[in-house]
Amino acid sequence: MEREKVIEVKDLVKKFGSFVANDHLTFDVYKGEIFGFLGANGAGKTTAIRILCGLSRPTSGKVLVAGFDANHPEEIKKRIGYMSQRFSLYNDLTVKDNIELYGGIYGMTMKEIRPRTERLLAKLSFNQYGDTLIGSLPPGIKQKLAFAVAVFHDPEIVFLDEPTSGVDPITRRQFWEMIYETASRGITVFVTTHYMDEAEYCDRVTIMNEGMIVALDTPSALREKYNASSIEELFLKIARQKTETA
Amino acid sequence: MFLLRKEFRQIRRDKFMVRAIIGVPLLQMLILVPAVTFEMKHIDLAVTDYDRSPASRELVSRLTGSSFFRVCATPENYNQADDLLLAGDADMVLIIPDDCSKGLAGAVNPPRLQVMVDAVNATTAQLGWSYFASIVRDYNRDVIMSTGAAPSSIPGISVSPRFWYNPTLNYKYYMLPGILVILITAIGLMMCGLNLVREKEIGTSEQINVTPVKKWELITSKVIPFFIIGLLDLSLGLTIGWIVFNIPFEGSLLLFFACSAIFLVAVLGLALFLSTLASTMQQFLYVAFFFVMIFILMSGIFTPTESMPLWAQQFNWVNPVAYLMRINRMVMLKGSGFNDIARDMGMLAVLAFTFITIAIIAYRKRA
Repeated sequence: MEREKVIEVKDLVKKFGSFVANDHLTFDVYKGEIFGFLGANGAGKTTAIRILCGLSRPTSGKVLVAGFDANHPEEIKKRIGYMSQRFSLYNDLTVKDNIELYGGIYGMTMKEIRPRTERLLAKLSFNQYGDTLIGSLPPGIKQKLAFAVAVFHDPEIVFLDEPTSGVDPITRRQFWEMIYETASRGITVFVTTHYMDEAEYCDRVTIMNEGMIVALDTPSALREKYNASSIEELFLKIARQKTETA
Repeated sequence: MFLLRKEFRQIRRDKFMVRAIIGVPLLQMLILVPAVTFEMKHIDLAVTDYDRSPASRELVSRLTGSSFFRVCATPENYNQADDLLLAGDADMVLIIPDDCSKGLAGAVNPPRLQVMVDAVNATTAQLGWSYFASIVRDYNRDVIMSTGAAPSSIPGISVSPRFWYNPTLNYKYYMLPGILVILITAIGLMMCGLNLVREKEIGTSEQINVTPVKKWELITSKVIPFFIIGLLDLSLGLTIGWIVFNIPFEGSLLLFFACSAIFLVAVLGLALFLSTLASTMQQFLYVAFFFVMIFILMSGIFTPTESMPLWAQQFNWVNPVAYLMRINRMVMLKGSGFNDIARDMGMLAVLAFTFITIAIIAYRKRA
C-alpha cells in the first residue's frame, strides 16, 4: 500500500558561501512516522530542519512540506510545529500565557484554547504550574512544556531540533513517551538528535555526515546491513569508513 | 491580537520597566529642565583697582549691583590677577588703571580698562563679556551725561527690546519643550529596538518566525506598546512642566500630541530598522546611541540650527528630532497653529512613512 508522503525532499542543497551545509539530500517522510535525523554536531541537521520549517531557503533542490514547496514558507508554517534546541518560550510569561499566545498565533480562539489548556495541564499533571512564570520552572518541565506548546495546535508535522540536549535521563524518557503519544495522534514527528540511543526509538533513521546522507532505513534494517549490535556501533563504523576513504 | 496582549503582559510584569516608565520622565524633567540653562549668574570677577577713586568704586559697584557678577578677589597687581584666572578661581579679571578717574575728568586720554576672560567655555566667556560691556556702556553714558554734555550731542539709536513668546528670557521655557522631545526619542528608539533585539538574542523571535504570524502583526505588536508609552510619558512630562515649572502652554494640545505621535512613528520605524541590522543588544545600543546623540545635538536644542554649517542644516532634513523640536517650541511658547507648522509637520509625516516602510521591507521572518 502506498503510504502518504508529508515531506518530500529531492537534491536539496544549501550553501553558505563556499561551505556546503546540505549536499544533495533526498528523502521522503510518511504520515504519522517518527523520523530521526542523526549526526554529529555540524553535520547539517539544523540547517536542513530550518529549511523544512521555512526559516531558511534552499540554494537548490525540491522541498515539499505538507504539500507546499519551500517558496511558500508561510503556508508551510501554518501546518507545522517547531521546537528549537534553544528554549524559546517566554520566561517572563506564565505557562497559560505562553500556551494562549501560541494557540492564538495559530488561529485558535480563546474558546478553544481554555479547555484545551486545562486538559493539557491535567494530562502532564502540571495543574499547579498554570499561573507560574516559565522562568521559575526547572529545565525538565520547561522542555516538556515547550514540546506541548509546539503540538498544541495539532500541526501535521512537528519538527524537534535536538529537543533532549541537556536534559536528565528520566525527563528524556518521559519526553520520548510524549513523542510516541503525539505520533499516535497522527502527527508526524521529525526529530534531530546526537544521542545514538534515541535513534532506536525512531521508525526510520537518517544518518548525516558532513552535509550528506550516508544511511537511511529502519533502525533494525540498518543494524543488519552494517552488522552492528546498536546504532551507536553502526554510527562509529560509518564514521570510520568515512575517515578511511578520505 | 494575541501578540499585542503578550507585549503588554510582559511590560506589566516587568516591575523595573514599570518603574522606569514612570520614574525616568519624572527625573528627567526635574533634573534637566532647571539644570540645563544658559543663564549666567555670579560670574567670579577679580578686580585690581590701581586707581582707588570714587569713580572706580562706582564702576565696580555697578558690576556687582547686577546679579551677574560678584567680586571674588581684589588682587594687588596684574600678576596676582593673572594667577587667579589661571587657577580658575576667577572667571574674569578687571584691571582699572591708575589714571582712570583723571581720564574720566578729561585730564588725560580717555581711560582704558583691561579685561581678561577665561574663555575655556566659550559660551560663558561670551555671555560674561557682553554683560560686562553693557554695564560699562551704561556707566559711560551716565558719566557723559553728568559732565553736562547735552544728551542731544551724543545722538544714538536707542533700542528697547521686548522678548516675545518668552518675555522674561526664562531658559526653562526654552528647554522644556526640547527635553520632552529627548524623552520620547529615548523611549521610541531605545526601548522598542532593544525589546526586539532581546527576543533575537534569547531565541524567542525564531520561535515566532516559524509560526504563520503575519509580518504586519509582528511589527504592530512591537510598535503600539511603545507608541502608547511614549505618549503617556509625554503627558507625564508635560504635567510636571505645568505643575512644577509653571510652563505656559499657548498652543493646541491636540496639535502638540498629533505631531508627537507622528514623530513617534518615525523613531519607532527607525528602531525597527536598526534592530533588523543588529543581532545583539550590544550592537544595537551602540548604533542607536549614536543616532540619538547625533539627532539631539543637531536638532537645535542647545544651539540654533540656523547658525550651523549648511551641511548640518541639510542633514536636519532627515532629522525627525529637529522638526519636533521646532514644532514643540512654536506650539508651546508661541501658540502656533496648524498653518504655521504645516510644513514641518508634513516633513515629519514623510519621514515617519519612509522609516516605517524601510523597516517593514527590511524585517524578515527568517533568521
